[in-house]
Amino acid sequence: MKSLGLFLFSFLLVHGLAWAAPSADEILAASDSIRNPGRPFSVTVTLTEFQAGKQVDTSTLVSYSRTQQNGQFASLIRFVLPARDAGKLMLKNGNDMWFFDPASKASVRLSPQQRLLGQASNGDVATVNLAKDYKATLVGDEEIQDGERRTRKAHKLALTAAAPDVTYASIEMWVDAVNNRPLKARFFAESSRLLKTAYYRRFQPQLGAERPTETVIIDGLNPQSVTLMRFSDYAARGIPDTWLQRDYLPSFQPE
Amino acid sequence: MRFFSRSVLCPFLAVALMQAVPALSADAEADALSLESAPEATPERARNTKLFIEGSIGNASQRYLSQSQDIWRASLDFSHSARLGPGWRGVISDRLDHIYPADAGADATVNSLREAYLSWQSDGGNTVVELGRINLRYGPGYGYNPTDFFRDGSLRTLTTANPFALRENRLGTGMLRAQRLWSDGSLSVAYSPKLADRPSSDGWSLDLGSTNNRDRALVALSTQFSQRVSTQLLAYKEQGMSPTLGASLTALLSDAAVAHLEWSRGSEPDLLSRALVLPGVAAARNRFAGGITYTTLGKLSVTAEYQYNGFALNQSDWAALGITSATQVAYLLEAQRRQELAPRQAYLVYVTQKSLGLKDLDLTAFLRVNAGDHSQLAWVELRHHWPSFDLAFQLQQHIGSPTSEFGILPDRRVVQVLGAYYF
Repeated sequence: MKSLGLFLFSFLLVHGLAWAAPSADEILAASDSIRNPGRPFSVTVTLTEFQAGKQVDTSTLVSYSRTQQNGQFASLIRFVLPARDAGKLMLKNGNDMWFFDPASKASVRLSPQQRLLGQASNGDVATVNLAKDYKATLVGDEEIQDGERRTRKAHKLALTAAAPDVTYASIEMWVDAVNNRPLKARFFAESSRLLKTAYYRRFQPQLGAERPTETVIIDGLNPQSVTLMRFSDYAARGIPDTWLQRDYLPSFQPE
Repeated sequence: MRFFSRSVLCPFLAVALMQAVPALSADAEADALSLESAPEATPERARNTKLFIEGSIGNASQRYLSQSQDIWRASLDFSHSARLGPGWRGVISDRLDHIYPADAGADATVNSLREAYLSWQSDGGNTVVELGRINLRYGPGYGYNPTDFFRDGSLRTLTTANPFALRENRLGTGMLRAQRLWSDGSLSVAYSPKLADRPSSDGWSLDLGSTNNRDRALVALSTQFSQRVSTQLLAYKEQGMSPTLGASLTALLSDAAVAHLEWSRGSEPDLLSRALVLPGVAAARNRFAGGITYTTLGKLSVTAEYQYNGFALNQSDWAALGITSATQVAYLLEAQRRQELAPRQAYLVYVTQKSLGLKDLDLTAFLRVNAGDHSQLAWVELRHHWPSFDLAFQLQQHIGSPTSEFGILPDRRVVQVLGAYYF
């Protein structure tokens, strides 16, 4: 009887603690599911670039995204503005990356470095599923300023690459301790050089959850270079496997 | 004293900097968080129409004349894709060029109906059927595409030497095309019937005689072996000729490097026989292009490509033609019409540098080298982008002896300024 009581006590203690303190990976997965709807969707992204506080460029694209069967996040991006780029497509399905120009009908395979040159790489900061490619460690709890400059208590996670071919070697991430909302992230290269800092803000109900509808991305090398990504027109939609390959690009029918 | 001031001041400065940098960074972050997004695009702007006008003015220094030649061009470029119903889409793409001086025997104003077709696809996008004039292009090569079987006769006007820009101006081919896609590949079948006998020099002609002057068919099987490697196998047949086989491959070699290979083999008369309309004997030979593209974090992208055409003249046969340069010119014109490689072997180096000094200033340059006579075509463009306007400066130089591929061309150097406005 005594041993049964001890067993029950231990069981409750272990599981009670587990309930009270989710693991770092669970926090990261919960944060991912706030940034990304769990089903295929499309979203309009408006990018505004600033240099030293002055707006220097703006562009619009539509992203069609889904999580593949292997857990990888895949997206097909259609450029809308500026007019010179209208109709161009960029596909990212893991390391299978293509750029398609309907004017020349040319599909060009891209290397990860080539893709980093464009604004599409900022999409990774906002939408990629981090829990699949990174191992998270809970560093501790901190009070930080969120994207709307309010003080929040946050879990600080240290993410290290768990898969080859990831865009960033390591990431520091702050997740709201109350509701697992992503608040802030710092993305590092293999050389430990800070590449980007991102703030997730303007949480609004979209596709069944409160999701960030704006991400502020600050260049690591030049903090005066800032890109704002605004997400609008979220829509759940079917995105078949066949869309996410080079051969479909010339037949893509935008809505 | 000097040593003292250094030894004391340096750590002090270092500590001060360490304190200041995060402070600066924090300030910059605070500033960034006060920024506001631009207004979202209105639905009207997101329509599926692309329209731009382009104009250029320049000068071409001449090899055979003492005076240089002024050149200019005005172009209107329009394309539209419309959903006609669930799964149905209509595409139209047209370009109007007015060129001064006009090519010999050609109208100064030339309209190119590049594409006009209907497309249907099943619910999941697994099956696609298309009918009309379609620009069906294959091949990952930068400067030469042995598997781009519908390329010959597709250029009504030559407005640039840049192989990438040339592809934007070409005519599609009238065809019925069907494609079946699965998750990591596709099978495509295209049939292109004969619709006219010969090309038309009328500037407003649909010019089906350039693209549909014989029956043709193409089958293409695409396979993605992994996320790093994909291939295409092609079989092409045209009226009166034996089948031609082709294959291409692209591979991601590293985070920064991509390789491409493209090959075809068929039995047909050599290029000189075709140029001079001689009764050439068909023989089986190869065409090939292969290269590597490397991109640096500094936004520089460099492609080096080797090109081979077994149907082209080798250097000694080309030199033998030099006795009558008119024959050489006829040969080069036929190579240009067919978008064929004129020499047996050639090299291409293609370079792009984004944000050259200024955020919106791009450099594009390439060098074509004839491996036989070592003549060269060099082309450089500096292009600045504004939200709706592009301004570009282009320089093209032909280098080589008077009997070489590029040395024989009448233009020695072409300089032009180009502006494009996008609506």
